[in-house]
Amino acid sequence: MIGVGKIKQYSNVLDKPLSKGKQEVSLSAFAFLFSELVQYNQTQVDNIAELERRLEDAGYAVGARVLELLCHREKGNRRETRLLGILSFVHSTVWKVLFGKVADSLEKGTEHEDEYMISEKELLVNRFISIPKDMGTFNCGAFVAGIVRGVLDGAGFPAVVTAHFVPVEGQQRPRTTILIKFAEEVLIFPPSLVTVLLWI
Amino acid sequence: MIVCVAVVGHQNNPLYIQSFTEEDDALKLHHIVHCSLDVVDERVNNPKKSGPTLNETFLGLLYPTENYKVYGYLTNTKVKFILVTTDLDVRDADVRNFFRRFHAAYVDAVSNPFHIPGKKITSKTFSERVSAIVKSFGLSSAG
Repeated sequence: MIGVGKIKQYSNVLDKPLSKGKQEVSLSAFAFLFSELVQYNQTQVDNIAELERRLEDAGYAVGARVLELLCHREKGNRRETRLLGILSFVHSTVWKVLFGKVADSLEKGTEHEDEYMISEKELLVNRFISIPKDMGTFNCGAFVAGIVRGVLDGAGFPAVVTAHFVPVEGQQRPRTTILIKFAEEVLIFPPSLVTVLLWI
Repeated sequence: MIVCVAVVGHQNNPLYIQSFTEEDDALKLHHIVHCSLDVVDERVNNPKKSGPTLNETFLGLLYPTENYKVYGYLTNTKVKFILVTTDLDVRDADVRNFFRRFHAAYVDAVSNPFHIPGKKITSKTFSERVSAIVKSFGLSSAG
């Protein structure tokens, strides 16, 4: 029946309490803004490496601020001092706030001690972007790599972060991997804690 | 009565110092804040097993001088907030509340895209918010 189970009706719309609003931004607005960002940077540079560096710097500024904001919002906050702690923080909390879901997987690199990879089937920022063939291995995920670098740097774990396409058979579009290579001073601390391979 | 608040960056560089009394000269306050940084470093680097856990943000009373008490707070990015007060009976909960609101104002100031991390905070809004927080702290602890 109409009216049953409804919340209290206000006779005057001005009496309704203000809604808190959704904590989300529309995807199309972001995609438009990001495409403008990439296009603007393209007009300013001469080569691909410079373009990638600029996107990464833009992401770095975002990452530093995201870290401050998330640490403030999280209740019962603890400062992360362990490598694994900060990586799982990036992998779940940061991804959840930025993209609405946790990242697909977090792995430790097999060749080197100091390499970790966060993989995603398709990065949100790349969803409406296709790279022309003559740009080679350029990946707009450099923006996300910059965000991760900003978060890690702010937390005291300096690292070099890059984004790569990894082709997967059976899938038309390649998987994207964010490769994190930590600086040496990060690894002086107990290596015994970081010999775990995580599949999430 | 809060005498001054300070924000110190992760390389122990001052980002924001504001004093709320007219008589004391700024140099003495700078000196007190600077000394308290040593106490912060000592607490962070040598955790006492029986003391608070290593990763707490609120550091508590750092050390009392002749007529001041100094409280500290450490954020995830190694940015420290220092509070110098002359009150004798400040409740722990009040100070924690103060730092929580201060942290909120700080996050808003840093989120400014024109703010360069590592440089001094020059936002007027931040100064106004800090003054409002200090005033309400003074009222709540007096009442």
